[in-house]
Amino acid sequence: MRISRHTTALTLGAVLSAMVVGGHAQAAAGDDETERAARWTELQQSIFGDRKVETGPALVTMDLPDRASDASLVPLTLTMPGKDKIQGLYLVIDDNPAPLAAHFVFGPAADPDTLKMRVRVNTYTNIHAVAETKDGRLVESAKFVKASGGCSAPMGMSDQEAMQGMGDMRMKFADSKPGKPIEATLMIRHPNFSGMQMNQVSRDYTPARYINKIAVTYGDKSVFTMDGDISISANPVINFAMLPEGKGPIKVVAGDNQGGRWEHSFDAPAASN
Amino acid sequence: MRRSPLALPLVALAALVLGAAAPADSPVNVPEPAGYWEGALNGYTPKTLAGAGLVDAAGLAALIAAEKPVLLDVSEADRRPPDMAPGRIWLPVHRDIPGSVWLPGAGEGVLSPALEAALTARITALTGGDRDRPVVAYCHPDCWGSWNLGKRLVRLGYRRVSWFPEGIEGWQDGREDGRDTATIRADAEWSAARKASAGR
Repeated sequence: MRISRHTTALTLGAVLSAMVVGGHAQAAAGDDETERAARWTELQQSIFGDRKVETGPALVTMDLPDRASDASLVPLTLTMPGKDKIQGLYLVIDDNPAPLAAHFVFGPAADPDTLKMRVRVNTYTNIHAVAETKDGRLVESAKFVKASGGCSAPMGMSDQEAMQGMGDMRMKFADSKPGKPIEATLMIRHPNFSGMQMNQVSRDYTPARYINKIAVTYGDKSVFTMDGDISISANPVINFAMLPEGKGPIKVVAGDNQGGRWEHSFDAPAASN
Repeated sequence: MRRSPLALPLVALAALVLGAAAPADSPVNVPEPAGYWEGALNGYTPKTLAGAGLVDAAGLAALIAAEKPVLLDVSEADRRPPDMAPGRIWLPVHRDIPGSVWLPGAGEGVLSPALEAALTARITALTGGDRDRPVVAYCHPDCWGSWNLGKRLVRLGYRRVSWFPEGIEGWQDGREDGRDTATIRADAEWSAARKASAGR
């Protein structure tokens, strides 16, 4: 049954009038936006309590596909034009059942210009990035994304296979110039089981096992810490940057909710030119 | 309960392992099982449902406008992982086509006699027992649950059953055109029946 867009518009008009006439006020036009705003208000209360979250001018801009091809691996880039003012960042995927996906706190060795990661998106939702400034303000940015089923998507392999090499880490560095920030990509092997993934054969749920803490240091200074959750994709990949004047190795300590703890050190790259 | 395209091969494999009326390993030519689909509810579904009509999002909008059908969503509810740390914020939310009744789990291929009776009673109440009342079954895309419920409705003698395979996400694709969703709680009577059944 195909109906032209024009007819659809007419039909929708009819739907809306029918609903108003029928007294189904909860279904009137614009409720989607209203309800999403109400959801965000509820989440702010849960996450930030009585602290006020300001809207713009945004300190963070978010880049992600409008429609994600794989809801369990939605690439997200956070750019922070206001990086000098920012000390932390909350990432909230509004309609995920565990909405607070990550909380980053940047340390003195960080260059919080850009952060990239991959997240799970359960349903069509707003994503909020809330920057916490050094003077304690909270400033939000939002973007809508169309993706569905990311939290419950099975990994396409057995749990045992998915857990092989758990805790292995790699770090790649972009070419760095002397005196310029060092861009790094941290890759951690870990299934980050959400606890919402069902084994398609046994129909049992795989127990939740997710990375809940990552701490990165450069020498004796913190680059960032991240409190994570089930909304971070399997095999977490995080792009970040450090200030160049660090001394000593770059150390990563990661832990998960089942008591797993892994530590790796990487040599900082030698600057070329 | 939904899954990404990457998971499809696993689902197909699972179906083979189960050896039930196997669905094809591709989105085309999935045959209708003789009875209800009793395997995993995520997976490619047939393109047909004998005794019921298929409806797309635009068609459903027209149907809602013209006839106010009974809209039944059988999506499973998000379940808090028991091993998730207690302090974590867990606030699941479910959005539906406005005016729907949410019957989580009512699309299972196998229902206990008690649950089957509860579901039949609930459907009778919602339709006023009128077998000519249009009824729409849906959940998410690639979901056997709505197919099963559609089949159940046909077997119950409903003559105007529509199956909406695009589901909640298909409806929301028209968000810019005003296809709203509304947050909804699971149907109280159905949930009570499920709880009683689980406790037995």
